[in-house]
Amino acid sequence: MRKIFSIALGIIAAIGGFVDIGDIVFNVAAGAVFGYQLLWAVVIGVGGIITYAEMCGRVAAVSEKAVFDVVRERLGFSVGLVTLVAGQLVNLLTLAAEIGGVALTLQFLSGLPYRLLLVLGVFALFVVLWAMPFSWIERIFGYGGLALLVFVVAAIKLNPDWGSVAHGFVPSTGSGNGVVYAYYVVGLIGAAMIPYEVYFYSSGAVEERWRPKDLGINRANALIGYALGGLLSFALMISAGALLLPRGIHADLFGTVSLVAASPIGQLGLILALVGTLFAVSGAAIDSAFSGGYNIAQFFGWEWGKYRHNAGAPRFTIAWSVMLILAFLIVVTGVDPILVTEFSVIFAVVALPLTYLPIFLVANDRAYMGRYANGVLGNIFGGLYLVIILVIAVVAIPLLIASNMGQG
Amino acid sequence: MRVSALLGLHVTTESGDRLGRVHDVRGELTPRTLKATGLVVGRLGFLERLGFGAPGSGSRLRGRDVVPWSAVVRADVRGVVVRDGTKTR
Amino acid sequence: MNIKGEIDLGLGVLDHQLIDSEDHRCGKVDDLELEGVREGNPRVRAIVTGAGGWRGRGRVGRLLAALVHTKTVFIPWEEVAEVGAEIRLRRTAAELGLGRGRDAAARWVEKVPGSSL
Repeated sequence: MRKIFSIALGIIAAIGGFVDIGDIVFNVAAGAVFGYQLLWAVVIGVGGIITYAEMCGRVAAVSEKAVFDVVRERLGFSVGLVTLVAGQLVNLLTLAAEIGGVALTLQFLSGLPYRLLLVLGVFALFVVLWAMPFSWIERIFGYGGLALLVFVVAAIKLNPDWGSVAHGFVPSTGSGNGVVYAYYVVGLIGAAMIPYEVYFYSSGAVEERWRPKDLGINRANALIGYALGGLLSFALMISAGALLLPRGIHADLFGTVSLVAASPIGQLGLILALVGTLFAVSGAAIDSAFSGGYNIAQFFGWEWGKYRHNAGAPRFTIAWSVMLILAFLIVVTGVDPILVTEFSVIFAVVALPLTYLPIFLVANDRAYMGRYANGVLGNIFGGLYLVIILVIAVVAIPLLIASNMGQG
Repeated sequence: MRVSALLGLHVTTESGDRLGRVHDVRGELTPRTLKATGLVVGRLGFLERLGFGAPGSGSRLRGRDVVPWSAVVRADVRGVVVRDGTKTR
Repeated sequence: MNIKGEIDLGLGVLDHQLIDSEDHRCGKVDDLELEGVREGNPRVRAIVTGAGGWRGRGRVGRLLAALVHTKTVFIPWEEVAEVGAEIRLRRTAAELGLGRGRDAAARWVEKVPGSSL
């Protein structure tokens, strides 16, 4: 019974923890421009993160190693270091975007100036990272993110044409600007598969001392948790498609995101949307800051992890602190956080092959995995996604330029 | 001499036949020592030429030949030279 | 898990995690120093960690070693207790000269209240 309970808690945390500023921005923008036509792209992205999160969790439980330990061993020092540098730059951009999102949300809730909220937000994040135990962080920010379920309610209340919605789950080339459409496909898949998610998931699995007996929990977390998290992404896109597209409102401003929940439900909807966004985006900031610490510590063999306490893993602690400060410096310049978000997702897409190829190689390696190595199904999905990742990695930046960052 | 210096070195016979490159160093572990007993030799794949692949990881995918150290005539920065007619195991 | 018998130095030892006698992580095997190569009786003399170890790991390693001057530490092979997924050492990191970077970092971290959290 306790096991089912703990699986359920993990899943709930995963649902709220799945959505970050990148998902919010891309799903709402895609809905505003293309209605329900891009729902299939979200399905692909969610399928990808489920496949690879399960793989990472399995590798961590069986080999007791997290991603970057494995990257260095399997790909060698040179490639490993290049992967590390690329991964850290992406983490940094992601973190900057999340911090900006936190400040924007707080601005809506409080009306205080943006820059002040950046400072307060970063300080609060630092305190949480420094003082809060790992399991508390996961739970609090995961559960808080569940307030985003208000978008599911909003989507239903907006009474969309469910026939069109169903149609959106079928891959198509869409109507409208093809280049912009392709840009959103890339962005939606990228936002769902953003690297810090797997770095954090695998490090968490090692921190929580998962072993082969926990593979059931791993599978449940990955499959159910991220699938339900994907539900939130659908809700964002459907609501935006139902509300914004008919009115020709573009989701350029952060305000339009909350409008989507407020319009059908009113004040309560607005509050829940903002609170949910705050927890989800803060949670993502925490996860990406820690990922920055995990990656460098794991590559160089330093002590890492919250269970070692701050002074017990000093270089890991300094690493995530430095990430937080650098990310703060990026956004305090006043750059538009939505812009940072888009860049962070697109650059993450370019680095996706370097992120996921090593995981695929290790998950197949019987010396590491023994009988827990990838089965046929794991390899079909894993391999298919590698191809998808390679394709979008190549076209990401050309599309960014050609579509004028999705503006057409 | 460092292990890193051995990895990737060209392996040729005394009469100049190229056998490939050093993929890894086969060793024997005892309670107090780690002796090098041979060289894992083969052709470098495309990815490996680019720097992908930890030493020896390529051997997982393709069969590799092990040259016993007793067959090694010389091993230094210029390369590894083995006796003619070296049989791999 | 002690693998006795055959092992590949690149695959089975290089880049693996070092763990000291107190179960603390203390770096990776950056390189291995061999002796007896010319005499035809090669064996591992020591594990090399730090910038000196990176220098042999290609252009990227040389670049990193030039930019970051961490101390090169040689761990005599006799200090190795077990070779498995990780390389376990017989003594503590401090006794082996590892962890100078860690200690420097710890001095900063301990200045902040709540560092034992």
